[in-house]
Amino acid sequence: MQFQDLLKALADCGVEFLVIGGVAIAAHGSAYQTRDLDICYQRSPENCDRLVKALSPLHPYLRNAPRGIPFLFDRKTLLSGMNFTLGSDLGDIDLLGEVTGGGKYEQLFSDSVKFTTQRISINVISLEALIQTKRAADRQKDRLVLPELEALLEIKKKLGES
Amino acid sequence: MAMILTAEQRDMVLALINDPPQGSKIAAAKEFGIDLTLNLRQLSMTFDEQLKQLEDFDDFARGLRRASRT
Repeated sequence: MQFQDLLKALADCGVEFLVIGGVAIAAHGSAYQTRDLDICYQRSPENCDRLVKALSPLHPYLRNAPRGIPFLFDRKTLLSGMNFTLGSDLGDIDLLGEVTGGGKYEQLFSDSVKFTTQRISINVISLEALIQTKRAADRQKDRLVLPELEALLEIKKKLGES
Repeated sequence: MAMILTAEQRDMVLALINDPPQGSKIAAAKEFGIDLTLNLRQLSMTFDEQLKQLEDFDDFARGLRRASRT
């Protein structure tokens, strides 16, 4: 898995996205480990084109579909669907047009946090919104990480007060 | 912007972790079984260092899986 290179590929093509999921959890200070990159992407046709330009050279495929099923990664496919679980030459990447409990890119972007990798600024879902999405998703893996995220939010608030 | 802990903030977080206020989320997380000293380490890392750590973990996990097959 090459998180840095995947993020760079997206940023280099000007894709409007923000990091959610496990990488966001780690960025906010959790010791949680993840093996894929989850992003929420802006769903305009122009941004879908940028996403296609960024990921096509990495040979994306549907991760959860049987091998051999034809998959055309283009604007039409992205606009016809919403969320995609993909594999690629640089590792697994999930593209979410909408996040349970958080909404679409525009809603999550407003209070996102900027992180820097390889001198590139990357938007990451806020810790508050991350907690909200985990509460809404309410899967076992979400319930397991919630106490840690809530403790981290409390720590950050106390640091802000000092 | 993301935050990386200063030495002073690190000491403050360590004190909170070691002696969390009663009824706090920090106390609840400790009670839940979370080792919050790991968070202290994460909060002291840059985003690049965190990403590198995730990549290293993935390499390690793949190596383990390969070894279990042989």
